[in-house]
Amino acid sequence: MLETLAQAVINGLLIGGIYALVSIGVTLIFGVVKIVNFAQGEFVMIGMYLSFFLATQFGIDPVVSLVVTMPVLFVVGVLIQHFLIRRVLGQNDMPQIFLTFALSLLLVNLSLMLFTANYRTVHTWYSDEALHIGGLYIPLAKLFAFALAMVLSAALWIFLHTTDLGKAMRAAAQNRDVAMLMGINPNRVFCVALGVALALAGAAGSLLMPFYPAYPLVGQVFVLMAFVAVVLGTLGNVPGALVASLMMGVAESLGIQFIGADSGLIVVFLMLLLTLALRPSGLAGGRAR
Amino acid sequence: MRKGRVSNESARTRRQFLRATAGALAAGGFGAYPMRGYAADPVNIGGLYPVTGSLAQIGVGCVNAAKLAVEMVNDAGGIKALGGAKLNLIVSDVQSDTTVTRTETDRLISDNKLSAIHGCFASALTLIASEVAERAKVPLLTGSSSDQLNKGRRFTFTPFARASQFAEAQLQMSKLVGDKPKVAVIFENTAFGTSTSNGLRELAPAQGVEIVLFEPYSAGFTDASPLINKVKASGANALFSVSYLNDLILIVRTVKQVGLDIAINGGSGGFVIPDFYKNVGKLAEGLQGVAHWNHDMNDDAQKVNAEYKKRTGEFLFEYAGGLVAQTFMIAQALENAGSTDPQKVRDAVAALDLSSGYAAMCPGGKVKFGPDGKNIYAHPVGVQWQNGDLASVFPQADARAPLIKT
Repeated sequence: MLETLAQAVINGLLIGGIYALVSIGVTLIFGVVKIVNFAQGEFVMIGMYLSFFLATQFGIDPVVSLVVTMPVLFVVGVLIQHFLIRRVLGQNDMPQIFLTFALSLLLVNLSLMLFTANYRTVHTWYSDEALHIGGLYIPLAKLFAFALAMVLSAALWIFLHTTDLGKAMRAAAQNRDVAMLMGINPNRVFCVALGVALALAGAAGSLLMPFYPAYPLVGQVFVLMAFVAVVLGTLGNVPGALVASLMMGVAESLGIQFIGADSGLIVVFLMLLLTLALRPSGLAGGRAR
Repeated sequence: MRKGRVSNESARTRRQFLRATAGALAAGGFGAYPMRGYAADPVNIGGLYPVTGSLAQIGVGCVNAAKLAVEMVNDAGGIKALGGAKLNLIVSDVQSDTTVTRTETDRLISDNKLSAIHGCFASALTLIASEVAERAKVPLLTGSSSDQLNKGRRFTFTPFARASQFAEAQLQMSKLVGDKPKVAVIFENTAFGTSTSNGLRELAPAQGVEIVLFEPYSAGFTDASPLINKVKASGANALFSVSYLNDLILIVRTVKQVGLDIAINGGSGGFVIPDFYKNVGKLAEGLQGVAHWNHDMNDDAQKVNAEYKKRTGEFLFEYAGGLVAQTFMIAQALENAGSTDPQKVRDAVAALDLSSGYAAMCPGGKVKFGPDGKNIYAHPVGVQWQNGDLASVFPQADARAPLIKT
């Protein structure tokens, strides 16, 4: 029983690390640019396909391919901010919502056309291996993904707190108008925010590839959890999204283990509902950091 | 690619033109003249498949097979009783979505004069399409296995094994591997999964099989570990997984990671398609499943399989193979009815009694529908992944290769 419980917690934490990479991106964009990116999951999907083709064409290990997918998606993020999102900022909510929503539809259908609906998997030496400790097991692929997700989250934290650009981003998140008065160039900050958020999505894609199949709709599996985590962890709050993602991973896993495999999400949404009822601004309170 | 509709626009306008002219001529006093004789109008049959959305990957294969089947019928001279009329396949994309299935089926039937329909692969979608077809009185042939399709329906025909039969075959197969099977059943919680697994649970006692875990899950999960954790805790030595492909890939991989020694029977659905092997690779070797159709059944099936393989590079999977047979059943019914009227085609389908040719290409090799629309001879075949191919191994009469015990 205790072993089963421990295993359930391990499973939850490991998948929570992936949720975190997606939700941190969403929350960063919302915090800084004040726009909800409905297409975040699709960038995970693009990261997966990129890793897949790097692996099958050039034999690059998906986890190593991070060094390609992150910069590529960073550039994509900058371009999207510069050419698309910039044009709808300052308008009312509708164009902003529909822009990223349309982007999501476009990317899904484009990839259906280019890559077909088939599932693609990459087999690495660690794809089916696991560490066995006592009666517990830790799948290697997920362990790598979790560890790197934590490293990247920490790196983002350090970036936001120690570099000028990072501080500018936080300033813009806290109060855009005052930040502009202090001489911060909002478009530059927004471009970096989009770039970093999409790079994280790319990283999530690369880290998922060794153990999860890529297909055009894969982003939507993860983005739902990401949105819940973002709300749970207070919109715009990066550490909040991280903690909430890990909590949700564990809650889902425990739900499956002890309530039923079709009700894992019930626990997650119950958490969301309770949070919204009791602490409407999320677990971290009303602060965006 | 929101609408995966394939129809011959120019043929349709030509037909409309002919019809209009015929009408004018008739009004002019040539009414008694048989206008149909000189240009055999093509016969419209509908194909409802999910070409986009989560089930698209199987749906696309189905559409390829449906086109091949229609080509085969047309190349062999079309429907002779209708002056060599060609079949015209009109494919409609049901987008893996029940609401879309309802509107698309409605639209397909009201926009086109259809003689029959086949589809939709997923049981949840087929149940909806069948309701619409019943109301419109157009016969629907389907390989979907839900037993609900045989209740209170007059225009729905199921030439292949039912979910309850799949269950029986699966239970019997579990006894081939070990004497005292302790089975864990995990299933996705829509019509396909629940009907199959309920069948398993009901029939297990009679087959002397103990079910130690009976667990529904919602399809499309991010992680199979918690589910496999449950299977491990249950102490089962055989695992029945009633799943679509992406879930199954994760399940098989996770079982391997956990190091669980368990005989997996993946049932049908996502388990018996080429993509499963492509994704799971060697881990798939020796895994068992059940299918309503398999490409090694007889010479006809092998022939169609070879042609399909030439076109797509993959073997003809269960559902696609079955719908090739269904197309030939529809062709035979049109032949027997000598009419494109869906009512008459329905009666001709109901009266079919076949034991040879492509239309009879199913396990057992015979087709005859009972009053509930079931093929009375239908039964599933047990299959096993061997060297990257799917071999029929059960029952004895249908086995084309021996079962490999892992």
